[in-house]
Amino acid sequence: MAAEKGFEPPPDVLIVGAGASGAVAAVRLAEAGFRVVCLEQGDWPDYSRARAGQPDFELTSGATWAWDPNVRNAPGDYPVEESESDITALMWNGVGGGTVVYAAHWQRSMPSDFRVRSLDGIADDWPFTYEDLEPFYVRVERDWGVSGLAGDTAFPPGEGPPMPPVPLSRLGRRVAEAHNRLGWHWWPGPNAIATRPYGRLSACVQWAACLWGCPEGAKASVDRTHWPVATERGVTLLTRCRVRRLLVGPDGLVEGAVYVDPDGAEHQQRAAVTILCANGIGTPRLLLLSADDRRPDGLANSSGLVGRRLMMHPFGTVVGLFEEDLGSWQGVWGQHLHSLEFYETDASRGFARGAKWGLQPTGGPLSATASFPWGPENPIWGPGFHERLRARLGRSAMWGIIAEDLPEEANRVTLDPLRSDRFGIPAARLRYRLSENSRRLVAFHQARARESLAAAGAYETVVAPFIRATGWHLLGTAVMGEDPERSVVDQWGRAHDVPNLFVYDGSVWPTSSGMNPTATIAAFALRAVEHLIEHRRDQRGAP
Amino acid sequence: MSREVSAEDRATLAALADVLIPAGQGAPSASEAGAAGPWLDEVLRLRPDLGEPLAAILAAARGAEPAAAVAGLQAEQPAAFDALAAVVAGAYFLHPEVSRAIGYPGQQRRPIVPEEPPDFEQDGLLASVLARGPIYRPTPGREP
Repeated sequence: MAAEKGFEPPPDVLIVGAGASGAVAAVRLAEAGFRVVCLEQGDWPDYSRARAGQPDFELTSGATWAWDPNVRNAPGDYPVEESESDITALMWNGVGGGTVVYAAHWQRSMPSDFRVRSLDGIADDWPFTYEDLEPFYVRVERDWGVSGLAGDTAFPPGEGPPMPPVPLSRLGRRVAEAHNRLGWHWWPGPNAIATRPYGRLSACVQWAACLWGCPEGAKASVDRTHWPVATERGVTLLTRCRVRRLLVGPDGLVEGAVYVDPDGAEHQQRAAVTILCANGIGTPRLLLLSADDRRPDGLANSSGLVGRRLMMHPFGTVVGLFEEDLGSWQGVWGQHLHSLEFYETDASRGFARGAKWGLQPTGGPLSATASFPWGPENPIWGPGFHERLRARLGRSAMWGIIAEDLPEEANRVTLDPLRSDRFGIPAARLRYRLSENSRRLVAFHQARARESLAAAGAYETVVAPFIRATGWHLLGTAVMGEDPERSVVDQWGRAHDVPNLFVYDGSVWPTSSGMNPTATIAAFALRAVEHLIEHRRDQRGAP
Repeated sequence: MSREVSAEDRATLAALADVLIPAGQGAPSASEAGAAGPWLDEVLRLRPDLGEPLAAILAAARGAEPAAAVAGLQAEQPAAFDALAAVVAGAYFLHPEVSRAIGYPGQQRRPIVPEEPPDFEQDGLLASVLARGPIYRPTPGREP
């Protein structure tokens, strides 16, 4: 029998996971007077190990801030078996979640992203529209500290983010001018990066280190923007506490969770309401781990869709080489600008849906020698080393292409029958195959991105080789919808089967968009938690 | 691999390293820059995870013709090749003279200085984007 621990009486809400969605929920619940406990399996990020400006920056950052939990193997991680997956999952298990190492590209989804079935006749519509979510985008952009420019012609008119955009820089200006000549869309990059001192954030100093722990405190990651606020307002955040399974009462309500502390001791944390914010792999893993005799297929899984419809965004990269010194090891990483020129479906292209492009720097000298994005067939080594190095270093720019993948039930997260984490909890197992639509989509966008960079003056363009380690965005595995037979949760994140269990992370996405997802994850969480707060009198809770 | 790398292993590494990074354009070769000497030790201190793959590479390459050994790794063992490249280039770029020779001062603090007008407004840069008008498909029923 697991020991009861602290927090009597039990809190109103248990949140599992201290990433983006958990942070948004925790702050609002605390503001509304709820008593909240959050269980986070990892720890706070150690920014003393963020090395921008130090000679070993490039050498150590990739290992210290490794994005693949199987590579990092930190105490907060669990194994992800992915031998049957074309893409490997990337995540940060700790306070801040993926925002600790994300590129902070802050992309709202477009109106068509919420209406894929209605507009394109495929996949599913979301149970709400862009217009329903828009006020929440505006608010989370203020809460996080987003920079950008209102009036982007790829979105309906409305209020923009609170800070002006990051500089275009020389490389951005070149590409902007080229797109003007081509008649292609571009817009100053929206980023969760402070361009002025803003709340708890410092102003960006363009280390181009966003992906490896911002040493400046300028990138909006929720360990900096939200969790200090939440804990000051009374939220109890327990780090290095891993949930083993959810507790389910005889009435079918979830009563909290069983978790393992850093010493391996088991405890129960009870709560009236439980919210899963554990990402598109962690959340279905927990629901599947919570199977029992009455629910042999897992908790909240009468639809059979828990873990299915995994979407991870195939990722394309195209680099251009320029004669001009663009100083492109500095800047934001982050995006200087974005283009949504080819985002909307055009049936004549031979595939459905599209992708967003973000223009990025290319890093320092060690990055210039790496097989990604430069490709093993594009070697730098040997007699031409110094010429090639100088051609790449500071004289290159890169489009990162976020390609929409469509939901397929065969792409899924299950429990691994063999492997487990250090506490004996089964690992997650992925099965994910790229569809023909995705392959065509990525190839089309790579070709257009080459044209973009060539028009900007690149004398050579390189399409990065396909690599598996691009699964930044973990979406779709506890899909929301109106029909309990065809979805796991409703539009408020409430499980159809369990009225006091909620999912707020990217698991709920019916389709993946072709955007970096954090803006929509945050806006969804805010909309959902405010609905929960507003309807607190009607909310059933565990006894 | 322990941090005490034998002289024989250093000699093997120096030969492989110079296949990857020969001298040129005023910059030293990898071995001349100490990529098998003090900067190797620094790499292994900073990245102990590279020690084991490096030891395996050097054991296999001992006595082999360096260019053939490098080519073999590149063709047949891409992960091992990447580890070798990370060690050699990682050590090479730690040397301050190399940084000077290639014109890389390291990442520097560059505060964003507000421009007036901001860069995206200079020379009417956004004018043609704005003139084109909306490019998104509206929510059905919410068309403007």
